[in-house]
Amino acid sequence: MITRVSDNMKFDLLNNSMSNVEVQYNDIMEKLSTQKQVNRPSDDPLGMGKILDYRSALAQASNYQTNINSNKSWLSAAESNLTNVNDVLTSIKTTAISQASATASASTRQIAADSLQPLIDQIRSLANSKFGNSYLFAGTRTETEPFSATASAARIDLAVKAKGDAFDGTVTSGGVYTGLANKTYAVKIITGGTLAATTYQISADGGKTWGAIQSDLSAPVTIGDGITLTYTAGTVNMAANDMFYVHAYAQGYYNGNGEELSNEVNNGVTSNYSITGEEAFTDQGKGTVPIFKVLDDLKTALQNNDVNGITSQLDLLDKASAQISRYTGQCGTRTNGLDASSTALDDMNTRLTSLKSNIEDADVAKLATDFQMKQLALEATYKLAGDLGTMTILNFLK
Amino acid sequence: MGDIGRVLNTARDAILANLTALNVTGSNIANVNTPGYSQLRPDFGSIGVFNANAGTEQVGVKITSIERLYNKYLDAQVVQQEPNGAFSQAQLDVLNNVESVFNESTGGGINDLLSQFWSAWSQLSANPSGITERDNLVSVSQSLASMFNQRANDLIKIQSDMNTQISDTVTQLNGYLAQMADLNDKITQVEIAGGSAASLRDQRTELLKNISQIVQVNYYEEANGALNVYISNGRSLVEGSNVWKLGVQANPNNSNYNDVVFQDTPTVAINNNLQGGKLAGLIYARDTQVAGYLNDLDNMAATIVSNVNTQHSSGYDLNGNVGGNFFSPAGIYPPVAANGNGYAGKVTAGGAYTGTTNKTYEVKIMAGGALGTATYEVSSDGGKTWGSTQPMPASGNITLGDGITLTFTAGTFAANDRFSINATYAAADMQVDPGIVADVTKVAASATVNKDGDNAGLIAAIQNDSSLMGGGMTIDNYYESLQSKIGQDVADAKNNNDQQTAVLNQMESQREAVSGVSTDEQMMNMIKYEAAYNAAGRLIGVVNSMMGTLINLGIETAISS
Repeated sequence: MITRVSDNMKFDLLNNSMSNVEVQYNDIMEKLSTQKQVNRPSDDPLGMGKILDYRSALAQASNYQTNINSNKSWLSAAESNLTNVNDVLTSIKTTAISQASATASASTRQIAADSLQPLIDQIRSLANSKFGNSYLFAGTRTETEPFSATASAARIDLAVKAKGDAFDGTVTSGGVYTGLANKTYAVKIITGGTLAATTYQISADGGKTWGAIQSDLSAPVTIGDGITLTYTAGTVNMAANDMFYVHAYAQGYYNGNGEELSNEVNNGVTSNYSITGEEAFTDQGKGTVPIFKVLDDLKTALQNNDVNGITSQLDLLDKASAQISRYTGQCGTRTNGLDASSTALDDMNTRLTSLKSNIEDADVAKLATDFQMKQLALEATYKLAGDLGTMTILNFLK
Repeated sequence: MGDIGRVLNTARDAILANLTALNVTGSNIANVNTPGYSQLRPDFGSIGVFNANAGTEQVGVKITSIERLYNKYLDAQVVQQEPNGAFSQAQLDVLNNVESVFNESTGGGINDLLSQFWSAWSQLSANPSGITERDNLVSVSQSLASMFNQRANDLIKIQSDMNTQISDTVTQLNGYLAQMADLNDKITQVEIAGGSAASLRDQRTELLKNISQIVQVNYYEEANGALNVYISNGRSLVEGSNVWKLGVQANPNNSNYNDVVFQDTPTVAINNNLQGGKLAGLIYARDTQVAGYLNDLDNMAATIVSNVNTQHSSGYDLNGNVGGNFFSPAGIYPPVAANGNGYAGKVTAGGAYTGTTNKTYEVKIMAGGALGTATYEVSSDGGKTWGSTQPMPASGNITLGDGITLTFTAGTFAANDRFSINATYAAADMQVDPGIVADVTKVAASATVNKDGDNAGLIAAIQNDSSLMGGGMTIDNYYESLQSKIGQDVADAKNNNDQQTAVLNQMESQREAVSGVSTDEQMMNMIKYEAAYNAAGRLIGVVNSMMGTLINLGIETAISS
């Protein structure tokens, strides 16, 4: 309890109150002008953390949306291509049925065979179509044209020495490929040195998983499925992490692989979005009907006026059609799944935005009222300050 | 019996006393704005005796003393309170700087760049061969790294500013201490001579407040009036006219830190003995708070770097090569041999650090001796816990863990020799591997040599890994909590400061209520003394005229006789 008031007390009190009111006034002014409740972390420490959390989540959600949209475009391109393939297959089947009947003759079959080739080319061109710079149906080998015009026997590409390898000798591939599907074999050097001293690992899936560590590359090595690699030393020895790889192809028309492309469409949810040429057009891996072989066989049968040959392809044509339909359907199913994810993300987006806004955005109506109040308080303080100097006993001592 | 001379004396006393009182009033009015000034009050006292019977009645007046109105308990409270206020004020000044560096309320900053960083990996995973995506990723990563550099350097700059401030404050304190000793000397001399040292004491109280704003002190007044001041560990700062000055000395473990020391014992840091006050506030903010934020940043950078690098090096770049480091890896700092080690040989650290957090390894020699005979223990947590005792090989090569190796060359160990090795990733050093910047095809986006984007996808998924930072936090969460922590620290310091200021203001008011000058009051006193002075003057006039009467009476008698 203060019982005596000194001059300093009066002025100090006024100074303190004035600066308090000015600070509060300024604070409200800042919030009004930025339209934000939180202008620095100390304004609302927990809130600031949440705001940043919501911002990251929103950025991530928009990223997932981008992925979903690009996957959907990819799928819709694949779906329309596959639908077209099916249409062409249907018309080929119609021709085949009519040419299998007794009313057809060698000459009509020859004509049919001639007209079949452009249709086969059309299917191949659909199967080889690109989305942007990437082949739609090549698996993960999106830079390789997936289907050749003619069937080839099982084969092994030239071995590739990765560009950044230290080793400057040569590596050549050899052997006869016995694998049933297209594969990429890789060899990784674990400890470098001379060819004899080198230890290495082999991967049959392009480098995802690795076998046991083995040693000595001085003699030709069999790396699997009949593939051999022969190393010839150069001037620079092997170094750890030097990489060599070789693509090997099973017999047939297909040059891609069976790996699907994928990306993340929600937290921890990965979506495979590509249809591989392997599953849609071949009998390798997940595929069951070698469509281009069926078509070529049909053409040969027509040319040869081989009724049994034609008839036996009819069944296969049905299966081919079913295989294409199955993956056309899968495009739709995947698109639906993506749509659902997209809707969920939109919902989350709305919710997060509103949560963020609750913490971050200023309540303008309330602030405006507060502003008026502080203005009044400030005016009162100024008035007091003006009067303080004149309020003294001196005024009454005349 | 009446005596006209006595009346004159009484009137003279009254005039003198009231004049003195007016003089005191004048001093009070003059010092109304002097900080620490305690108002003076003249004490009037009557002199002489009143004896009605004997007829020797005379009661005069004099100023018996001029009293300095103050309450030493209130002053003591203010002196006690000052350090708390100054502590939080020093802290607040520093933290305000930190907060403005880290303010991401308008977007941008690490939070934003982290989002962009993860999203760049995700985009690359959708188009792993895309050079545009790779360029974008590398440029975003460089921005992220340089943002980490900038933030860390800002914190380091704030610390070094505080260092300067600490040494300036010590200089200021030394000045105050010298003044205090000087005042002690003067007060003792004046008071021994029987004089009043009121204004000197006011100055000294004010000085004590200034000192206690810098450092919390205890003090007592000696019988001779000298004030002795000492800090919490009992060491004196001022005793009578003697001063023990403080100084600053670079911390032996971190030359960026100045320790506070006594100038006469410059090797003994007294940082921990300083409680309350600006110095302790600055030291706490520098060594605990800002250092903590810096440590958090370093940890975060280390986690990003080690996890991205690990995933990156299990993928393949556009050329089919195994991925290298995406960020330049963490460093192993040269080992530091402890002061006073017996070992005088060379020690070097080697290897590539594989740890994911910043660690300090310690090596302690158990049994001394040459290489091949000595034994040692290793600690991976800066000396808190120790592994088993192992023999020191003759080769001098030992492996500490996390890929760190140490090599000792010829020398003899003594028991308890210590060596410490910091393996850290400093946020200030974060950078994208120069090889990747030069050639973006080296970004290992693929999980196979077939140019898929799965590895980039896996790196993007690090964003959601809640096992990395402890406490179920992702890297993003960790940064959010750092922001919250900084905000909370600032808010706490602000609240503390407001509270301390309020308490201090209250105390000042109480002190003012006793010691402060009120001009209105002084005006009233002035009128009072003036009236008394005038009355006494009037009395002299009356006596004068009475004397005239007496004199004239004598003349008339003489004429008539």
